[in-house]
Amino acid sequence: MFRKVSGALLLLLSVIILIWGMSISLSSPSPDDREEVVFWHFWSGPDGEVVDDVIRRFNQSQDLYYVRGVSMPGNNFDMKLFLSVTGGDPPDLINQDDPIVADWAFRKAIFSMDEIAPLEEVEQMRKWLLPSARKLGEYDGRLYAVCNGLDVRALYFNRDIVEQALRREAPDELESLEQLDEIARLCTRYSDGELTQIGYLPDPRRLWVWGSIFGGDFYDESTGRVTPDDASIEKALRWMQSYRERLGANAVATYRQNDQSLPNKMFPLLAERYAIVLDGQWRVRDIEAAQQATNKMRGTVTRYGVWPLPSVSPNGKTGWVNGNVFLVPRHAKNSKGAWEFIKFWTGIDGNEAEAARTCAAGGWIPVSNAVAESPEFQSYLQSHPLFARFVELAATDQETTPLVPGANRYYREVNNLVQRMMYNDDSVDLSKELTALAEDMQQHIDRIRYRSLYKEGPERD
Amino acid sequence: MSVGSKGLHRWSPWLFISPWLLGLIVLFVYPFIASLVWSFTEYDLLTSPRFVGVDNYKRIAREFIRGEGFGKALWNTFYFAAVSIPLSTVMAIGLAVMLNWKVRGQAVFRTLFYLPSMVPMVASSILWLWLLDPRDGMVNGVLAYFYETPPLWFQGMQEGVSLPTPFQFGSKDGLALMSFWGVGNFMLIYLAALGDIDASLYQAAELDGAGRFQKFRYITLPMLSPIIFFNLILGIIQSVQAFTQVYIVSEGTGQPAESSLLISLQLFLTAFRDLEMGYASAIAWALFVILATATWGLFRSSRNWVHYRGGRL
Repeated sequence: MFRKVSGALLLLLSVIILIWGMSISLSSPSPDDREEVVFWHFWSGPDGEVVDDVIRRFNQSQDLYYVRGVSMPGNNFDMKLFLSVTGGDPPDLINQDDPIVADWAFRKAIFSMDEIAPLEEVEQMRKWLLPSARKLGEYDGRLYAVCNGLDVRALYFNRDIVEQALRREAPDELESLEQLDEIARLCTRYSDGELTQIGYLPDPRRLWVWGSIFGGDFYDESTGRVTPDDASIEKALRWMQSYRERLGANAVATYRQNDQSLPNKMFPLLAERYAIVLDGQWRVRDIEAAQQATNKMRGTVTRYGVWPLPSVSPNGKTGWVNGNVFLVPRHAKNSKGAWEFIKFWTGIDGNEAEAARTCAAGGWIPVSNAVAESPEFQSYLQSHPLFARFVELAATDQETTPLVPGANRYYREVNNLVQRMMYNDDSVDLSKELTALAEDMQQHIDRIRYRSLYKEGPERD
Repeated sequence: MSVGSKGLHRWSPWLFISPWLLGLIVLFVYPFIASLVWSFTEYDLLTSPRFVGVDNYKRIAREFIRGEGFGKALWNTFYFAAVSIPLSTVMAIGLAVMLNWKVRGQAVFRTLFYLPSMVPMVASSILWLWLLDPRDGMVNGVLAYFYETPPLWFQGMQEGVSLPTPFQFGSKDGLALMSFWGVGNFMLIYLAALGDIDASLYQAAELDGAGRFQKFRYITLPMLSPIIFFNLILGIIQSVQAFTQVYIVSEGTGQPAESSLLISLQLFLTAFRDLEMGYASAIAWALFVILATATWGLFRSSRNWVHYRGGRL
C-alpha cells in the first residue's frame, strides 16, 4: 500500500514539474516576425525588474527588433561569454562592469561601435556622452563600449556623529585632506581601550581613487607603460598607510571585513561602525530606506551627508569612476538591433525621457547631460538631494582604470599590494614594492601585446 | 541463429556501453589531451592557439622559485591540505568511534553529525563567513576569553600553524576549519569500516587484558588503516579541487593579498579572467604531476602502515 501511494505521489510530482517546466517555455514571449536581440546582463532582484521594464518599453516601441533579456547573476559572466563565443553562439549584447574593455577590444572579442553602426551616429554618441562615460568605452581612438550607467564615489558621512564630534555644523565640502584626517580622528571612538567606531578608514581597493586625487597616473599613454610607481600614487599609498599606523593592522583588517560591499543595514555607515565611508551612489537607496524605516517606527532619524573628495593636488582629478558598459561580442548575429537598444537605453536621439525614467527607477547616474537635465530627472533629483551630489560629480574630471590590455589583472594586483601593506604591521619598502609591481605588470601587458603581434593561424576575426 | 542476429550479438556489448564510452571520450579523453596540447601554447580562448614550446612550464618554474603566482597558490594549497586533512581525519575517526558506541539515540546522533555534510557549500560558506567574522562572529566571541587580539580569520594573512605567526589564525586556517563541516562524509565511511571489524579480535584482546586505549591503538586503528589511506588520498584530491568555498569567502580574488588563493582559484583566474588558457593548462598539468607523485609516494609508504586483512597487497 505504502509503495503504491509513494509511487503515485512521485508520478504526480513529476507531472507537476513537467507542466511547470513546459509553462515556462510556453509563456516566454514570442518575438513575432521581429529580429531577436539576445541581451545578457547580471542584474537580478529590484535592479532586474528595472531592466525588464526597460526591455518591455523598448519592445513596445519597436516593430523591427525584439530584445530578449537573459539575467546571469554571479561572477562567472566572463567565462560564460567566452564559452559562448568559442561555441559560436554569443549573445548580441552584453553588460559588463569590470575593466575589460581594452583587453577584449585588443583581442578582437568585441566590435567597435563604428563596425556595427553608422559612423555619424557613433560620432554623435561620442559627443553626447559625458567625458567620464566616454572614457570608459574608448580604446585606441575608437568607441568599443557604450556606458549605460556611471558609478561615482564620494564620502558619505553620518551628520549626527560628525557634528557631535566637531561641536558645530558639518561643512558642505572638505577643504583639504588634513580636514578629513582631523574629522576622522575626532570621530574614532574607543571604549575601555577597545575600538568601537572608526572615523574613516581607506579601503585597500581604493588606491585607484586616492592615487588619482593625489594627482597620480596609473598609465602613461605616451610610452604605453603602466606607472603604479608614480610618485603621487606612492604619496597616496603612504597617506593610506598612516591610517594603519594609527589604528594598527589588526583593527584595519577587523573593521574592513568585506564591509564596503555589504548591503542595506549591514552597510557600516548605517550600523554606525564608521562615521565616514567612501562609496558609490547606490548607497543612497540604502540610506533612504533606513531613514524611512526609522520614520515609520517614529524613531529619531539619523542624518547623512555626502562630501566630494577633497582636493589634494593641482594635477589631481575629482574622483575615480567606473560603470556599466554595453558591449557587442564579435560574431553577434544582430548587432544592428543591439545598437538600437543601446540608443534607447542611454537616451540619445529623442529617448531622453525614457532614459530619465530608467535612471530614476534604478537610482542610476545618466551618462549624458541631456538626460540629467531633462525635467523628468530633475524632479527626481529634487527629492533625492544626496543622489544629486553624485550626478554633479559625474560631470567633473573623473579618472578611470587605465584602458589597457591586461587591465583586469593590473587592477587585481594593485589591490593585492595595498592589502599587503594595510593588513600587515611589518614595515614594507613601498618604493621597491611599487617598482616591482610596475615591472611585473608591464611584462604581463607586453606579453599580451607581443602575442598578438606574432599571432599565427587564421584571421583573428 | 541468423547471420544478422549473430552480428548484432557480437556488437551488442559495445552498443550497451557506447553512451558511457562516448561520454568518456568527449568529456574526459578529449579535454585531457587538449589541455596537454594547450599547455605548450598561448591560447586566449578567443583566437587560435600559438605554439610556444615549454615557455609556460618555464614560467611555472620561475613563479615556483620566487614564491609568486603559481608558487604562492601551491604553498597555500599545501598549507590548507596539511592543516585540514590530519585534523579532519582525527575528527572523523573520533566521531565515528563515538557514534559506534551502543547508546540510546545512536541513530539520532549519527543523523545529526552527518547533517552538516548535506548543506550546500555556498550556504555553509556564507554561514562560516558570519561565524568567523573577526568582530561580531560567534567563534571570536568565545576566543576573546583566551586571546587579547582574537584571530582575523578570513580577513587575515597570518598562518596559525607556521612559525612566524603561531596561533594567529588567518584566511587559510579559516578555510581549514570550514572543512570540518564536511567531515560527515568521511565519518560515514569510518563508521561502516568500524562495523566491519571482527568482534573476535576485541574479545581476544580483552582476554589478553587489553584496555580501551590499547584496543583502539592495536586493533581499531590498524583495521581502519586501509580506510584512512583511502580518505587521505581523497582528502588530498579534495584540497586541490577546493574552489567554491574559496571563491565565496575571498570574493573570487583570493584576498586578503592572495593569502587564500588556492591552486584551483588561481587556475580559474588565469584561464577565465586573464585569458591565459595555455598557461592555465600548464598549471593543471604541473598539478597533475605533483598529485600523481604524492599519491605514488603515499602508496609506497602505505606498505609500512596500512594493514589489509589477509596480508599486505
